[in-house]
Amino acid sequence: MSNSSSSKKHGQDQPELSGPTPKSHRAKMGKSEDTDKKNLGKKLKDVEISIPIVYGNIAFWLGKKASEYQSHKWTVYVRGASNEDLGAIVKRAVFQLHSSFNNPTRVVESPPFELSEAGWGEFEIVITLYFHSDVCDKPLNLYHHLKLYPEDENSSMSTKKPVVVEFYDEIVFPDPSEAFLSRVQNHPAVNVPRLPPGVTLPPPIPVEDASKRRKGDTKDHPLSQWFTNFSEADELLQLAAARQQVQAHIAKLRRQISLIDGQHHQHFKSSSDQ
Amino acid sequence: MDAKDILGLPKNSFPPLDKKSRPPKESHRKPDGISREVYALTGGLAPLMPALDPSQLKKKPPSDEKVAWQWLGITSSARKDNLHLYHWVRVVNGVPPTGDYSFAKYNKSVDITKYTNEEYEKYLTDPGWTKEETDQLFELCERFDLRFIVIADRFPSSRTVEELKERYYSVSRALLLARNPSSVDIASHPLVKEPYNISHDLERKRAMSLVLSQTRQQELRDEEVLAEAKRIAQSRISAKVSQESEMAVASNAGVEVTERTIPGETVSPLPSNAQHPSIPVSSSMSTENASTLASLRILRVYLRTYALEQMLQAASSSAGLRTIKRVEQTLQDLGVNLKPRVPTKSVCAEHLELRKEILTLLNLQKQLQYKEAEGLPFREGSYTETPGTPKHFHHGKQDRAFVPDPSFGGERTGKRDQKRKAPGRLSEAPSSPAQSKRPRKLKASDF
Repeated sequence: MSNSSSSKKHGQDQPELSGPTPKSHRAKMGKSEDTDKKNLGKKLKDVEISIPIVYGNIAFWLGKKASEYQSHKWTVYVRGASNEDLGAIVKRAVFQLHSSFNNPTRVVESPPFELSEAGWGEFEIVITLYFHSDVCDKPLNLYHHLKLYPEDENSSMSTKKPVVVEFYDEIVFPDPSEAFLSRVQNHPAVNVPRLPPGVTLPPPIPVEDASKRRKGDTKDHPLSQWFTNFSEADELLQLAAARQQVQAHIAKLRRQISLIDGQHHQHFKSSSDQ
Repeated sequence: MDAKDILGLPKNSFPPLDKKSRPPKESHRKPDGISREVYALTGGLAPLMPALDPSQLKKKPPSDEKVAWQWLGITSSARKDNLHLYHWVRVVNGVPPTGDYSFAKYNKSVDITKYTNEEYEKYLTDPGWTKEETDQLFELCERFDLRFIVIADRFPSSRTVEELKERYYSVSRALLLARNPSSVDIASHPLVKEPYNISHDLERKRAMSLVLSQTRQQELRDEEVLAEAKRIAQSRISAKVSQESEMAVASNAGVEVTERTIPGETVSPLPSNAQHPSIPVSSSMSTENASTLASLRILRVYLRTYALEQMLQAASSSAGLRTIKRVEQTLQDLGVNLKPRVPTKSVCAEHLELRKEILTLLNLQKQLQYKEAEGLPFREGSYTETPGTPKHFHHGKQDRAFVPDPSFGGERTGKRDQKRKAPGRLSEAPSSPAQSKRPRKLKASDF
């Protein structure tokens, strides 16, 4: 499940989480406007950095210990999709809770970016991610509806099995700065695509405190047993199969249409089979 | 009271309830001072803005001043003739108002540079103008505050407004330059920076009058032509993204204007432009893509799901709601999530491609339908159901694009035929041969 992200070219059928762009997709990527302006000054064009993340919540019913206002203990979080440390990219995360909570604006300054609380209600949490200054000066919002109660109303709540709701998404930086790019080019949490030919990056500045960095990942997180493993392989297979079907059908229809066109031209007399 | 008895509720619960109900009721009573109907107009609530307190309006001025009115004489600095007039003046505490007549400050006039005779000899001679004429012009300019229409009217020899303007402005400009040969300040003076261009002015006025005098027909024609030009410009821009195309349109538009000045003549440059090749559909799609990508770029950071949504919106903006629903239905039939569960870059790209292909598929199906419907009148044969035939082709094709899961194929078709049998079909022409003419749904054997 480890995210091998450094510039490899992945085909469609390789079941890896990281998905750097195959050539055909790169061509679509807005190259048309900016190819002539390919200055390597501060930003590299045509290079897009993406960070796969998973965000959501895990909620445990408190069972006997539940009170009227605190029936569940829940944790809302943003983590790297392969549980890598997001701290190199995200400076801090702000979780905006329901106004009925004390200090509803909770700031988490270091990874793992998560927040635990106890309550009884489900509501929308706005997670604002602030990035380091060389990454992006604009924050990004994620919206997550806190889920405490299981989908199936009839299933009994258990204190051992939590309700887990996770979503996969990717943070995309379409025009990363050179500084950012060089800093994270080998970072496990980051997808860096193949660089355009002739472009080289300065080597990354070595991190001073390696041990400090490691703590930010969620690989050994206490709740990690409930994490969902998102693999793009299944989805890609599904899509490829669907596309094949559609393409075959399209070919058929085209044949039929040309057949009919031929028939019309002849002022066809008797009905014929295909 | 009786109700409470009937219900058996204790009677002493009534007074405390009474107290509670009164305070909320107070707020619903209308305030005094406005009639009930007027209050109801506002919806029974207080107005949003505090209204003026009418009692304020009746306030009297501070009464420690003693105000009287006197019949006094005035002189105004605006007048040059020392005329003394009289009027009522508000006198406060016995002190008449000081200062100039209050309206004198509105007597403004234009500064007109006057030249001396030497200056005229040196800089301002002009073959078309005599000195007397120029003198007269300047005198009138001063008198009438540069209102050239009036000046032109009063001018002894007949000169057009533009000629007068030109003479005046060129003289003033020359004077300015002569008097301040090396001064940098006047370089920003409007006269120096933007000299009066008589030909431009004439042209402008002519064009304006033409536009104003256009007949309704001409207006309509011009609109059509402009729309056509716009469309061609759009296609050119999308075909090759460069500035030249925009320049070409601008110059075309310019050509148009001059062409139009000859009334009744058709605009000739444009029809030649219309013969440009039509754009292939794919390039218009790539423009949409490019513009969505450009707008995403501006965000500097965004979520993959957001980007996918934007692309979907852009793609579906050209399709109707029904088409979108059909695409989504097809996706479901194919067993594909409408919103990818793992939206990586490649998954999103595949998803978009799939949607595009489904759109193509639906279009082709429609095409086929039409072609077959067209073809029917040509066909002889054992069909007796010509009036009812359109119904055949609506069989199960509208909503269910095809059967994705091969194993379902046979069952589904069977079911649908059974349903439609009663209304659509007439007795003979048994289903199997008829069905074979219709585009077949996908079955397991097809793969």
